[in-house]
Formats: sequence, structure tokens, C-alpha cells
Amino acid sequence: MSYSGCFHCNEVIPKGSDFTLSIEQQQRQFCCPGCLAVAETIIDQGLGDYYKFRTSPANKAQLVPEQLQLVSYDSAEVLADLTQNKNDQTHIELSISGISCAACAWLIEKQLKKNSAIHSVSVNSSTARCIVSWDLKQLKLSDILTNISQLGYQAAPFMADQEEAVQQAELRRFLKRLAVSGIMSMQVMMLAFGLYFGEYTGIEPQFEGYLRWISLLLTTPVVFYSAKPFTLSAWRAIKGRELNMDVPVTLAVFYTFIASAYATLFGIGEVYFESVCMFVFLLQLGKFFEFRARAQARAATGNLLKIMPVSARLVQGNELIPTSARRLEAGQVILVQAGETIAADGVVLSGESSVDESMLTGEYKAVSKASGDFVMAGSINHDGVLKVTVHQALASSRLGQIIHLQQQTLNQKPQIVEKTTQLARFFIQRLLVIAFGTFLVWYFWLDQERAFWVTLSVLVATCPCALTLATPTAITCALARLNRKGILIKNQQVLEILPQLTSVFLDKTGSLTQGRFSILRSELHDTLYDEARLLALIARIETYSEHPIARAFSSYLSTEIKVEQVQVHVGSGLSALWRQDDGSCLDIKVGSAAFCAVQDQTAAAVCCTINTQLVLSVELSDALRPEVPALISALKQRGLTLSMLTGDSSAQVEEVQHQLQFDQVFKGCSPEQKVEHIQQAVTQGDKVLMLGDGINDSPCFHAAHVSVALDSGTDLSKNQADVVLLHNDLNLVQELIEGAVLAQRIVKQNLWWAVGYNLVIIPLAVAGFVSPYIAVIGMSFSSILVVSNSLRLLKA
Amino acid sequence: MSIIYVLIPIAILFVCIGLGIFFWAVRSRQFDDLNKEGMSILFDEKKQNSSQTDKDQQPPQ
Repeated sequence: MSYSGCFHCNEVIPKGSDFTLSIEQQQRQFCCPGCLAVAETIIDQGLGDYYKFRTSPANKAQLVPEQLQLVSYDSAEVLADLTQNKNDQTHIELSISGISCAACAWLIEKQLKKNSAIHSVSVNSSTARCIVSWDLKQLKLSDILTNISQLGYQAAPFMADQEEAVQQAELRRFLKRLAVSGIMSMQVMMLAFGLYFGEYTGIEPQFEGYLRWISLLLTTPVVFYSAKPFTLSAWRAIKGRELNMDVPVTLAVFYTFIASAYATLFGIGEVYFESVCMFVFLLQLGKFFEFRARAQARAATGNLLKIMPVSARLVQGNELIPTSARRLEAGQVILVQAGETIAADGVVLSGESSVDESMLTGEYKAVSKASGDFVMAGSINHDGVLKVTVHQALASSRLGQIIHLQQQTLNQKPQIVEKTTQLARFFIQRLLVIAFGTFLVWYFWLDQERAFWVTLSVLVATCPCALTLATPTAITCALARLNRKGILIKNQQVLEILPQLTSVFLDKTGSLTQGRFSILRSELHDTLYDEARLLALIARIETYSEHPIARAFSSYLSTEIKVEQVQVHVGSGLSALWRQDDGSCLDIKVGSAAFCAVQDQTAAAVCCTINTQLVLSVELSDALRPEVPALISALKQRGLTLSMLTGDSSAQVEEVQHQLQFDQVFKGCSPEQKVEHIQQAVTQGDKVLMLGDGINDSPCFHAAHVSVALDSGTDLSKNQADVVLLHNDLNLVQELIEGAVLAQRIVKQNLWWAVGYNLVIIPLAVAGFVSPYIAVIGMSFSSILVVSNSLRLLKA
Repeated sequence: MSIIYVLIPIAILFVCIGLGIFFWAVRSRQFDDLNKEGMSILFDEKKQNSSQTDKDQQPPQ
């Protein structure tokens, strides 16, 4: 196997870098010291198998910030909040980012199990969670976290919410029911074959009776155990004086079962045990896949607690005491170091820094903070050290309020009545009336003896199997199809609403745009130097900065350039010495125009001087995603009303509007105003789709009919959205709408077929022309047709 | 043909045992992560060949 990129993460190796490691007599190239360190650890620990069996490359590894926030997890208060103790063992659930395949899970388990203090480790690769139990006296939590980060993964303590635990248990019950109905179907089908052959070649009555009794015995657990969810749901519906789709299902299961049991008991008529089993199995299978897809989507995006700050450093006198963020009270003073998350709303007491509030405001530009400024919980401190006086507890912070707002809007989701439920209600009422009428007519006027069997054939022939399978199978296949393309659907109603969509709301920062700085244009002021080389120089120096601007240059990074004595000047720039090949040094300054002491370059964000001479000025902007213009025009062609919703009120909004021509633009919106705008559209009768990425968008997600979040978005927004796009490609929105339209077409075809078949067979069955045997064949055939029609969705 | 009076109950017994084992497997969380368990066979096999090197390189804890 040959890698063109980094051996660990497969990313492009920057020119001139030299990170190599000999693995099994082969020189491997790495892109950065982080990946090299991780690979070294993995190989040294004898875990090289990871590279052989992994199915996808690892994430680019970050060099571990030395014990940055990890130590604060060791305080007794934080541990008490996060862990459970059982017989001297401490249990904790960790959410691990960076797990890309099963090999990662193996790697982490192997590494942790080598430590004798760790009792058990279990990593779930599909939910990216890990449960560890260990002896707290021998090993600190921060050591476990450091251990995991040495492998290139970021672990954070996590608490699963109640709902998720319930879902896990439900998933296990599903598996058991599925196994019972599946295995029993096989047995009963086998016996049914004996009975089929007996029909043609003759079978002694005692053997026929025996096979029937055994079939009855095997079918009983399927009807009373596997079909329980349908029975319960139908019972609830009937108690509430309604008819849902589970009512005909339950009815079909029970009347075929009872009729077959009756036939077995008295040795007359036909038995349909194999039909009952297969019907239950197929329906269960569909439900199971749907449930599993949803549970997976939820678990993978449910790492809610990660954004809530967990720990803080309390300043008491001259001491720093690590404590739990949830226990902070107003008036306390906390210390926030560079790179840490601010644990509470408060006012800066001393120190200066720039702070990233994009999680809360959607604004990607860092805000500089000095003594007396207000800071918000959940924002990230970039470069300086801050002392903050806490104003209010975490629960009443801005972050806490947004989460609260979200829970409020949860119940305001616009409801759409499911069409199939309506159809079922209509159909089942008439069916019952017809069956009852048939029985009466045959019993009193025609043939008393045949009345029961004719009624049964009416019920069997019109068995709503095809009708009930029509929608779920199509939906399941559509979900699988979209899933394969990288679209996770958590709420399947979405597929029913999307074809009727009339209006689309888009968030700007981070959704339409990339949500980070990129280089718009650069201007060379001194022809002595090469522009590309200067950009590489800036990139090299900027690696020492945590500031978001630094990331704009990362693609120019080359390690050929040697710099020394790099100094970070908070809020203004960096200075360094550039070591030339001949050994001489040049004095470099990179930063704002004021910092570099050059004439104001109005548009430029970053200037670079060599020995106080301006050589390069660079303009930065938050660029649109490349696929956006095409997407916007495609959506317009569908006749959708497009609106842009943004918290930003800068001139960039007009610029984007000029380029993309939205029908409506709302700028400078608070999260509450965003919700209002969407609710207004909903009350006007629009079917609304909302696309966003930030925490500030998440309350809107409940106000809109369909909400779509990007994978690059915050965990909270992904948790709340109906749909998550797994690749950061907005064209998937098109795919999503198209997939939904296709699914609806298939559902319609299925329903037409099911209803049409029933309309033909009912008169024949009522007239007594259809023997129960033929009824079964007709029923099975129509079901198979519906299922195979749905399977067409899996193609392409 | 009377043999089916014995054989079919035996078959049912096997089915019950199979179901019992499956229920146990589900309860002991073996089905929580289907990806990982599917891959585990690859790693386990390899472990025996390289177990010597594993022992030599205990992590410095």
C-alpha cells in the first residue's frame, strides 16, 4: 500500500517538511509533528496492526496541549459530577472525537487495557463513546485522557441523557423480537413446505394434524411476543377512539392466527401460520432498520454536554483551585488560560485576550476583551490569560438560556398529519363493514356453512399487508439511500414534508460561508521577495498563534523556513527572527497595520514587515462555500422562496446578497428574532426548511418544518436538527429534496397498487369465488410487489 | 415417518437453545457495536503472532 499523503491522516504533506518514521522496514512520511508523535506511540506500544486493518485514515492529530484542561478534571467535585462509584471501581462515560472506524476502537481499548489500574474498557465505534472503569486510587482521570490523546483522539467526559439510555434498551428489545420472529418464520416455513407437498401427494391425517400443531406452537411466540409493539400501539389507538396503521396490522395478524388455530383445533379449513410469521418478521425488520438509523444519528450527534464547560479554575488568594463549572457562584473569580473555554458569564477583572464567541453569536471574528468587558460562558479564550469575576451561575448564563429556549420551542414543532394514517383509517372502516356485511348475507341468505370461510377469505384477500408495507418499506429504502450519500435523517416525517417545500431559510456564517478566514487577495510591496515564500513565512510564524486568523495561512505552511524567537503580542500580532541560509537574521513582524507601524492599509487585515519595511499586505474574508451559487440557483429553479437569516450586521451581508440575490434578507438577528421570522413564515402557510450550523440557529430548528445542520456545525445544532449532512457539501440539500420527491413517488405507486388490488379482489371474495388458498397467494404477491418496488430506491 | 414425532421436537429444542444464546449475547451488549465485533476477529488472530513483541514493549506507566 502506498500513501501519497501523511501515513497517519492521509492529508497532504507540506513541502519541505521532514517527519519520517521507519515502520516495519519502510520509511513513512508524516504531515506534522502531531501525526508523527501519535504514530510513534502506536508503533512503540506494539499496536501497528491498527494501520493494517483500519478502513479509513485517522484525523489529523493535534499536538497535545500540555495538560491544558485535563488536570482540572481531577478535582473531587468534578469527578463527583461525572463518575459513578461501584465496589471500589470508578465508572465514567467518555465521548471521543476522531474515531473513524472499528480499528480506532480496538486501538483505544488495547492501549488502555495495558494499564493495570484500568479494570475494563469498552469502546463503541458507531457512537464514539467509551466506558471505562478503573481504580481511582492508582490512576487519575487526567492520565486516562492524556493516554487517549497520545493516540490522536480527543476524549471528554460525557453523560448520556435519560432518553438515550431508554433508546439503547429499546434497541436490544427490537433485536430479540426480530430474532424470535425471524427464526420462527424459518421453522414454520419448513413445516409449511411439508404441508404444501401433502396437499399434492397426499398426507396421512395424523401427520398433517401433527405438523399443524407444531406450527401453532411455534407461531404463538411470534404473535404474542414479536408483534407486541404493534398490538400495544393498536390498543392505544383504539382506546383513544382512533385508527392508526397498526390497527389493521394487528387485526390481520390476529384473525389469520385465530382462524388457523381454529382450523388446527377442529381439523377443518386451511392454516396460514407461515404468512403470519413472515408478515410480522418483515414489518419488524423495517421498523428495526428505521429505529437503528435514528438511534445512531442521535447518539452520534448527542454529545450535548461537551459544549457546556465542565471545569474551571477558581482563584482564592494566591491559590488556584480546580472546581466544577456547575458549582460556580456569582462573585467568585476564575482564571481562564489560552485555549480554554470560559466557564461562566462574567466581567474581565484583569488581563487581555481575544475571545471566540462564534458558538453563541455565529460571528467568526474573535472579539478582543480587556478589563471591564463582558464575557460569555461557552466562548473560547484565544491568546491571553484572563481573570474573570463570575456574574451568574452556568444555568442562567447566555448559553444556558439558549439551551432553555430550545427546549421551549421543542413542543412547537409544526405538525403534519400522516397521509397513510388517514388512508388506513378510511380503508379499514370500510373493510370491516364489508366483511361484517358479507358474513351476515352469507349466514342468513346464502349458505350458513360457508359463511365463516367466505368472510375469512375476504379478510385474508384484503389483508392490508401491501397497504401497510407501502409506506414503511419505501421510507426505509429512501433513508438507506440518503444515508449512503452522507445524509442522516433523524425524523422521518421530513420525507413527507420535503416534496411540499415552499420556503428555505439559510444561515450565513458557517453555513453559506466557510465560517473561517481565508485569504481574499494579497499585495506585494517589495519585489525583492517572492510572494509565495512570504506567505509561507507568515504561515510558519502564525503556527505559534491560537488566533483564528492564523488558520487562514495554514495551507501555505512549509517547514523549510526557519524562524526564531517568535513572540505573541496579544490582540495585535507576532514578531520573529527569520534565519537566512547564510546565517543572518531578518526582523519580521506580522499583524495589524498599527502593530507593524506602517501606513493604514484599509482593506488589509494582516501586514508583514521585514526590518520595518512593508513587504506584503493580505486581505482576509469569510469566503462563500464554492458550491453555494450553484445550489442557490438550483433551489430558485424549484420555485422556492429563499431567505437569508444572519446574526451578522456587517457589510458582508450586502456583498453576499449582491452575489446570490435572495428573496429576503434578515440581518443582525438575535436567536429569538430568527425564531420569529420563521414562525411568521409558518403561519403564512409556508412549508419551511432551515439550514444552519451554530448554537444560535438551533432554536429555529424547532420552529421550521425541516431543519438541516452541517457536520461542521456545533454539536448542539446537530443534536436538534432533523437532518444532518455528514459531508460539508451543501449540494447534499439538493440530493435530500430529490430523494424525498422520489420516495414520495414510490409511496404513491405502492398505495395505488395496494388499493387497486383490493378493489378488484373484494367483489370476487365477497361473491365467494376466492378460496382462502388463492387469497393467500394474492396477498403475498401484492406484498412482494410493493416491497420490490420500494427496493428500486436503493439503486442509483 | 413416525420418526418426525422425535426429530421435530429435537429441532425445536435446538431452536430454543439458539434463541437463548442470542438473547444472552444481546444482553451482554455484544450487538451494541456491530462494526467493532466484526473486525475483532482480525485483531485477535494477529495478537498471537505478535504477542512476544507485545510483552517486550510494556508501556512505561
